[in-house]
Amino acid sequence: MICTLIFLLILDLVDGDGNFQRVSGTNVGGGTYWGLGRLLTKCKSFDELLELSQRGDNSSVDMLVGDIYGGLDYSKIGLSASTIASSFGKAISENKEIEDYRPEDISLSLLRMISYNIGQISYLTALQLGIKRIFFGGFFIRGHAYTMDTISFAIQFWSKGGAQAMFLRHEGFLGALGAFMSYEKHGLDDLMVHQLVERFPMGAPYTGGKIHGPPLGDLNEKISWMEKFIRKGTKITAPVPMASPRTTGLGGFEAPSSKGDALRCDESNLNVGVLHLVPSLEVFPLLADPKTYEPNTIDLAEPNELEYWFTVLSEHLPDLVDKAVASEGGTNDARRRGNAFARAFSAHLARLMEEPAAYGKLGLANLLELREECLREFNFFDAYSTIKQRENEASLAVLPDLLMELDSMSEETRLLTLIEGVLAANIFDWGSRACVDLYHKGTIIEIYRMSRKKMQRPWRVDDFDAFKERMGFGNKKPCFRHKRALLFVDNSGADVVLGMLPLARELLRRGTEVVLVANSLPALNDVTAMELPEIVAEAAKHCDILRGAAEAGGLLMDAMINTQDNPSEKLSSTPLMVVENGCGSPCIDLRQVSSELAAVAKDADLVILEGMGRALHTNYNARFKCDALKLAMVKNQRLAEKLIKGNIYDCVCRYEPAG
Amino acid sequence: MDGDRIQDLTFVNSSVDEISHLALDIGGSLIKMVYFSTNREKPIDKTQNNSSKDNLLSGRLYFLKFETSKINECLDFISSKLLHYRGVQQYGFPASDQNTIKATGGGAFKFADLFKEKLGISLDKVEEMGSLVSGANFLLKSVSSEAFTYVNSQRNYVQIDHNDLYPYLLVNIGSGVSMIKVDGDGKFERVSGTSVGGGTFWGLGKLLTKCKSFDDLLVMSHQGNNRVIDMLVGDIYGGMDYLKIGLSSTAIASSFGKAVSENKELEEYKPEDMARSLLRMISNNIGQIAYLNALRFGLKKIFFGGFFIRGHAYTMDTISVAVDFWSKGEAKAMFLRHEGFLGALGAFTNYQRVEEFPCTASLTGDDNQNPLVEDLNDNGTIECCVRSIN
Repeated sequence: MICTLIFLLILDLVDGDGNFQRVSGTNVGGGTYWGLGRLLTKCKSFDELLELSQRGDNSSVDMLVGDIYGGLDYSKIGLSASTIASSFGKAISENKEIEDYRPEDISLSLLRMISYNIGQISYLTALQLGIKRIFFGGFFIRGHAYTMDTISFAIQFWSKGGAQAMFLRHEGFLGALGAFMSYEKHGLDDLMVHQLVERFPMGAPYTGGKIHGPPLGDLNEKISWMEKFIRKGTKITAPVPMASPRTTGLGGFEAPSSKGDALRCDESNLNVGVLHLVPSLEVFPLLADPKTYEPNTIDLAEPNELEYWFTVLSEHLPDLVDKAVASEGGTNDARRRGNAFARAFSAHLARLMEEPAAYGKLGLANLLELREECLREFNFFDAYSTIKQRENEASLAVLPDLLMELDSMSEETRLLTLIEGVLAANIFDWGSRACVDLYHKGTIIEIYRMSRKKMQRPWRVDDFDAFKERMGFGNKKPCFRHKRALLFVDNSGADVVLGMLPLARELLRRGTEVVLVANSLPALNDVTAMELPEIVAEAAKHCDILRGAAEAGGLLMDAMINTQDNPSEKLSSTPLMVVENGCGSPCIDLRQVSSELAAVAKDADLVILEGMGRALHTNYNARFKCDALKLAMVKNQRLAEKLIKGNIYDCVCRYEPAG
Repeated sequence: MDGDRIQDLTFVNSSVDEISHLALDIGGSLIKMVYFSTNREKPIDKTQNNSSKDNLLSGRLYFLKFETSKINECLDFISSKLLHYRGVQQYGFPASDQNTIKATGGGAFKFADLFKEKLGISLDKVEEMGSLVSGANFLLKSVSSEAFTYVNSQRNYVQIDHNDLYPYLLVNIGSGVSMIKVDGDGKFERVSGTSVGGGTFWGLGKLLTKCKSFDDLLVMSHQGNNRVIDMLVGDIYGGMDYLKIGLSSTAIASSFGKAVSENKELEEYKPEDMARSLLRMISNNIGQIAYLNALRFGLKKIFFGGFFIRGHAYTMDTISVAVDFWSKGEAKAMFLRHEGFLGALGAFTNYQRVEEFPCTASLTGDDNQNPLVEDLNDNGTIECCVRSIN
């Protein structure tokens, strides 16, 4: 099937699923390029031929307008001297044989001829049918920058900018995917975009100039592969393990691209990852407008921004590797894997630095997720497990005192103290360099108390009064009670135990059902849905409210058995539940959440997002159908300046009422 | 072929007397020449008897071509004609005309200095697209049996209705291809083009087959079989027609596509087969792009010109089939007998006196009966009259 796509460039007119017709086509396609190219250059493979083209100069083979006009432009009809007048038109020269032409030049000339032709015929066909969007697929393109440039240029040229060429990252697999989708019994017809998660493991199938050796299979192979490059001291970019020469492949013709020269390197081959089908993923039902929802707050398309975050991630890498290795007992094997992970992730970063769009649209959330995926790829499933454990224990030890202190306050004061507490406890974040430094200076509780003391209102973003009013304080309206609140929790330790759990308890006390939403898989020191029941159970030992709610929510299995002879008491409690969010990243893309979360969200009327990853890096601008509260302490100077025009350790309490 | 042409020239040189109105179209690969020569044996008395202000010259239009890379042959030819050229002064051409030649094509710019230096002749540059259009208009309006369709190896001459000629699409296939929408005399627009043209056929063909000339390549293509190298629909679908999209099993899915999967080197393919594949690829492509452009502007008539075609049956057949296929039979490709000389003729009509005069030309040259290369262009002449003003 893939072969067919190489040969048959089919221009399909697609109206909708299953509603298309083949409207046109050309026999001058990838097969022609490869076939003619092989005959003329003796290349052994398609990729080799493409690579040759990057070092070519077509002006030695093509007859340019300038060749005919003696170096002049034919300006009257808008043809510059460097426009190709006749592909291969110079090869008619009397005394030159095929051996006298550089294979590079022949390949480039051929590539331009065919790409340009495809672009032109597609444009004319689109025009004929009144279509504005043209998608290009088929294995011929292979993410090859020059081919895409030429086709884009042709479309732009002939349409005078009215139409645009679009390319597909999985271009070569359209037919194969279509064949795959036609297995009706798989029920793949209703496949939605949010059910597909793309990962970029080392050695995944990818398009582009080179395939280095067979795809990497098991972990051992991956590690030794990375080690090989460490020994050789080669700088690698992922997943292509060798830096290619940075030639532009530009010959004597006019640049066929609107892009600047900066991106015109031959490494702009787009990567294609492994598509994971996760049918349980759904769009978060409380999003006000899923169509316009964009999870990322910071656009990494801006080069400065990209560079900054790459630096942050790179600097954090040695510390992360140490933690990861320690979490696996610090064995030699763990160290090997740790180093391999560092290499692999650096390679991904280097790759993205060169071509930010290589893995699709790039946001900070994707970058952080990539890191977590990369850790998992090298069998580090929970790098922070020891730290999380330790911090949970330390925080749980002081929780009873904190709860007593809170209970002594008036309801109104208590609400403020609780929000202060959430913000203060959010200082514990292993993802933040500044906070990692803090840890060396004192115990968790000391830091927490110090942090809370500094909570001087007004915060940098301070909608607390609006939230308080909504909660029924300071006005004469009858006290409003939310039916169900979803609390998106962040870090383990003080953050969840001393910050979010007391807030959850307060909501429960007011009769609001609480759902703690936590990660499905570990990411940094974020608490996971697997770990939460244990933490809640421990906290419930010292608190009746939490115990009753946890029992009602089915979190305390043992306790439930004990209280079965007293069912009425159980029913009276407002439930506290835990659901997994479906992801394993410090950020959250609300277009892809677990079906459990989507199910409990249907009855919810309050969403509380906590922490930088979920409330600032992502979702800061997200709008919800219900009340939403975004709480975080900004632990990064640059982000503080950029997002809230403030400083590091400033706090955000953003409240947006429903609608 | 070059030798043949020189012989033609010698013949022309010795038998024809007075040359005037020489016009050139200097393209990337070929120089096309049109000149007018009076015939001493048949002086038109009427002309002589007319008032001195209205002299009609009767004579013939001659068509010649040279390879641009051998421009010296062209210079020599003109040089040899210059003696006669000077002689025309008696018919009333101002002296200034003697040292000026109308010329079009890129070479009119590129070689201007060369002409000045070697022959002392200035090239009066005529815009290229405009020349093509006036040349085509001249042929279509003035020469009977100029345009024809090519269906099942049959030339069917098309009667051109002068009142219903415009608009039409003119596809000039030279080294590259220009597609021009013509709305009337001097009213036209270059709407499209492609770099895959005659130069591509010749250039790629030379690389692939080591063939020495364009015409040899054409002859070779006639003996070839493109199925050896082209990937056909039947090759992909196991011999069955891919009916759903209306492709027969012999339709080409991918030109040169078979060269991909076979481990054969260039030397193992027959040059004839490669020439055939190449010719089909390029002709088919031009036919398709031409049709798409005609469709885009709602043009019913498509005329193909330019030196690529050379009356070559297989080329015309492929272009015709392509236009027929893509238009589902609604459009017809039409060819011109003097296809290669549109630009040169256009430059020729740019001479003031020709332009003024409604030419009533008729074709006299014998059809070349060579079934492969039905090439009228080298020895066909057109009888016509031009007016000279004292």
